[in-house]
Amino acid sequence: MTKQRKIIHVDMDAFFASVEQRDQPAYQGKPLIVGGQPNSRGVVAACSYEARKFGIHSAMPCSRAYRLCPQAIFVPPRFEAYRAVSNQIREIFWQYASQVEPLSLDEAYLDVTYTADYEGSATLIAQAIKRDILAKTQLHASAGVSYNKFLAKIASDLDKPNGLYVIRPEQGLHFVADFPIGKFHGVGPATEAKMQKLGIKTGADLRKKTLLELVERFGKSGQYYYNIARAIDERPVRSKRVRKSLGKETTFAEDILSTELLTEQLNALAEPILNMLAEQAIRAKTMTVKVKYADFRQVTRAQSVDAALDKRAVKQWIPLLLNRTEAGRKPIRLVGLSFSGLEVANQQRVHPEFDF
Amino acid sequence: MKINRSVLLKPLINVTGIVERRHTLPILSNLLLEANNNKIQLTATDLEMQISLSIDSHTQEALTTTISAKKFLDICRALPEDSEIDLVSKDSRMTVKAGKSRFNLQTLPAADYPVMTKVNGDSVLIQLPQIELKRLLKQVEFAMAQQDIRYYLNGLLLEVDGNKLNLVGTDGHRLSFTSATLNQSYEKNNVILPRKTVIELIKLLEDNDEEVTIEIAAGQVNFAFGEMRLISKVIDGKFPDYNRVIPTAHSNTFTVNRMAILTAMQRASILSNEKYRGIRMVLSHNNIKLISTNTEQEEAEEELEITYAQESLDIGFNVTYLIDVLNNTQQENINFSFADANSSCLITLPEDDDYKYVVMPMRI
Repeated sequence: MTKQRKIIHVDMDAFFASVEQRDQPAYQGKPLIVGGQPNSRGVVAACSYEARKFGIHSAMPCSRAYRLCPQAIFVPPRFEAYRAVSNQIREIFWQYASQVEPLSLDEAYLDVTYTADYEGSATLIAQAIKRDILAKTQLHASAGVSYNKFLAKIASDLDKPNGLYVIRPEQGLHFVADFPIGKFHGVGPATEAKMQKLGIKTGADLRKKTLLELVERFGKSGQYYYNIARAIDERPVRSKRVRKSLGKETTFAEDILSTELLTEQLNALAEPILNMLAEQAIRAKTMTVKVKYADFRQVTRAQSVDAALDKRAVKQWIPLLLNRTEAGRKPIRLVGLSFSGLEVANQQRVHPEFDF
Repeated sequence: MKINRSVLLKPLINVTGIVERRHTLPILSNLLLEANNNKIQLTATDLEMQISLSIDSHTQEALTTTISAKKFLDICRALPEDSEIDLVSKDSRMTVKAGKSRFNLQTLPAADYPVMTKVNGDSVLIQLPQIELKRLLKQVEFAMAQQDIRYYLNGLLLEVDGNKLNLVGTDGHRLSFTSATLNQSYEKNNVILPRKTVIELIKLLEDNDEEVTIEIAAGQVNFAFGEMRLISKVIDGKFPDYNRVIPTAHSNTFTVNRMAILTAMQRASILSNEKYRGIRMVLSHNNIKLISTNTEQEEAEEELEITYAQESLDIGFNVTYLIDVLNNTQQENINFSFADANSSCLITLPEDDDYKYVVMPMRI
């Protein structure tokens, strides 16, 4: 049997909002919303705990947040500041963990199985990490400790803010059994609805289903659901996550009908992504245009090509993909562009072409 | 209107082939059915091309409607052989009756069917046996590009020049050229046939000596053979100058039995890199080696004896491009010629002077 793993999930508390409150003492103790302006169409990127008391949560439209709490302070995000903090905390993670897998600026999985500090006690290591983060950034983090990623993530959420929660190997199964299905990582609202329909309300219900039933119903994810119902999650903590796609999207201040304007917007989105791909010598074979209509209905249109997509190809495909949506006939509030089918370009193996 | 299943089925399969499963207009999933004067005409279109076919019948009854191509075909297929099928169109429905079976299908008005019509104006008429056109198409079809942003490569060049009919397909990495002599001379003229048209044509052409008439008109090409009429739009674009790509002659050359090198390549390709499909061709005195390696560092080596006394050469290729040409030619022997490891390779057939295949090497 392999060594029991020790995984920590660290998650900063109300990250963007806490950074703002730290840097602007006037914001402290007040409902603070980082994101769009109240009269804009932006959404809440993060909010302070004071704001959460009013029922505000991230991803909520700012207009709605404003109605819930008109006295809230709305500030635009300062990503450079968050990135700076993010780098500080990642440095701390690397002091303790052999593998660090960041999930976003403020969240990461740490594998501390082979860490010798504190006689290998993951709980003490998590405490030390929290302490170091506070000392260095004056910000609080919550940590979850367990024997796999799935449980560690659940644990970090259980004692927020400034929390530390440990799920021991013998507790794993019991924990999962009582857990409401919608709270499982990887079970979104759509899957939750499907599960509810099948009578699956908790981890215990999920555990009653056979592997075959789950795979038939949920495809590839069925295996994952089968495992998590048993508190099994063998995904390793990966330092370098292999990107599956790279994309950007933009919501307009006003709905756009003109396809020329939409094409322009998409071209503008393409530029930085293509540069990023080029810098990392990654080739993309599929591009996807996403369109959200004024009525919030959204469609995606994708195109795969044999050769890698370059600037010229992307520029030519954008109007063609847009053409396959109702752009020009229906007002559109958001467009997005993403690239997938990524592979590292191998300079030595490029197949030369005819010089027509 | 009555018709025997055996008479209807094959024509039905032939026209239904071009009906797209995903389409923009509901009526495009339908088939246009027109009957009068002892003839039944079936028409299908995807707006880019149209196939119509007429069948002799023994009925004077007139009937004009459109019905789901897929459902109608599925029904006819499933009926017992030699069933007498009775079609009755009434209001917005068509009833299909055969023996004790009865199907009631929805219809859409025939007047709404987007029929493609032949364009007027100057056109060029070419005639050649069906079997010959089919052979020519098959020699170049596999080299066409698929979904290339250079949309003009997603098709096949059809060119008349003097008494020559030239066909060219290329995806930028390899190019396949073939030519036939016509019994008449023409002014130089060319069109790009869309990929789908080419693939459909190959399916529909019969292996017999009956003539097919190709009519090249403005923005359109029509093919008429047997009872079949195919109208296709052409790709509006400029096909690259293939003459610049085909090398005239290389000094390093050998001839080899096609099947011998094909089977050797197929075996060697098993251990070639799945993505790049690279294979090394190492030429030395009277010997050729085919070597492949994959990402797991597994290795395959094949050796063939040839007659070769020129320069030694070590050159890489995408093996798929080579297997393609070996698979799509029928001749017993095949000729390879090279300039050096960085230049394109010319493949010809000692028994067919009109065929040329060019493939770019790849760095391995």
